[in-house]
Amino acid sequence: MSTILVNTLTGTGTAGSIAVTGEGNSTTTNLQQGLAKAWLSATSTVSFYDSFNFSSGTDHGTGDYSYSLTNAYATRTGYSQAGAVYTSAGGSTITRNSSRDAAGTVAMEVTNAAGTAADASKNVMTHGDLA
Amino acid sequence: MAGKIVADTLEHSTAGSVDTQFVVNGSAKSWANFTGTGTIALTDSFNVASLSDEGTGEYETNFTNSMSNGDFAIHVTSDANTSNDGFNRTAGGSNNTTAKGHARHYESGSITDTSLMITTVHGDLA
Repeated sequence: MSTILVNTLTGTGTAGSIAVTGEGNSTTTNLQQGLAKAWLSATSTVSFYDSFNFSSGTDHGTGDYSYSLTNAYATRTGYSQAGAVYTSAGGSTITRNSSRDAAGTVAMEVTNAAGTAADASKNVMTHGDLA
Repeated sequence: MAGKIVADTLEHSTAGSVDTQFVVNGSAKSWANFTGTGTIALTDSFNVASLSDEGTGEYETNFTNSMSNGDFAIHVTSDANTSNDGFNRTAGGSNNTTAKGHARHYESGSITDTSLMITTVHGDLA
């Protein structure tokens, strides 16, 4: 058992690239690429239950939200986004809103089972290249 | 100079510590942001060698480094900025293998191509 005391990990060859041995011990995965760069658990209005790398949110109307990143991505299209609607009602969906997203903004829309915009608590995570 | 550190825990001076199993197991092993209409194309990705167009609204991401089995978690989402915003549905995983992740997109109950597809994979590398 060992513990490394460290505040910053930096690659030696490329500062932003560190390899981690995978579970099967036969390949490596990239530490920086695999880390979620931002995630949130937020209320049906816009406030955070908890979050990482988000500074604030904006409620644009029913089911229409965007959140500002503390540290932005390199590009608008250079990150992936996944989410879940936090509700006991089945059939709700959450989608990425490409009319509001940006390198520094994660945007999503929530609908209910009838396909109508609806406010709801939600979870969102993103992966990609930071600026 | 490249090096290798073998450790079970990483500890920050103020932010706490994390068991390195969470770094290995908790890191996304693949993600992709791609155009799903016309000739499908990657916009950006990690651990994706290529895409396969499996027909209308049906896509596969072919991994550079394979997963250990097909039971990994794949999360799929799509662009909401269409005329059928409220009826977008995405699904993934039904045809996952060690070498690829599988995703579908539906609008109004019908499988449909979409301008933006996003997938994220968590699981064990081979």
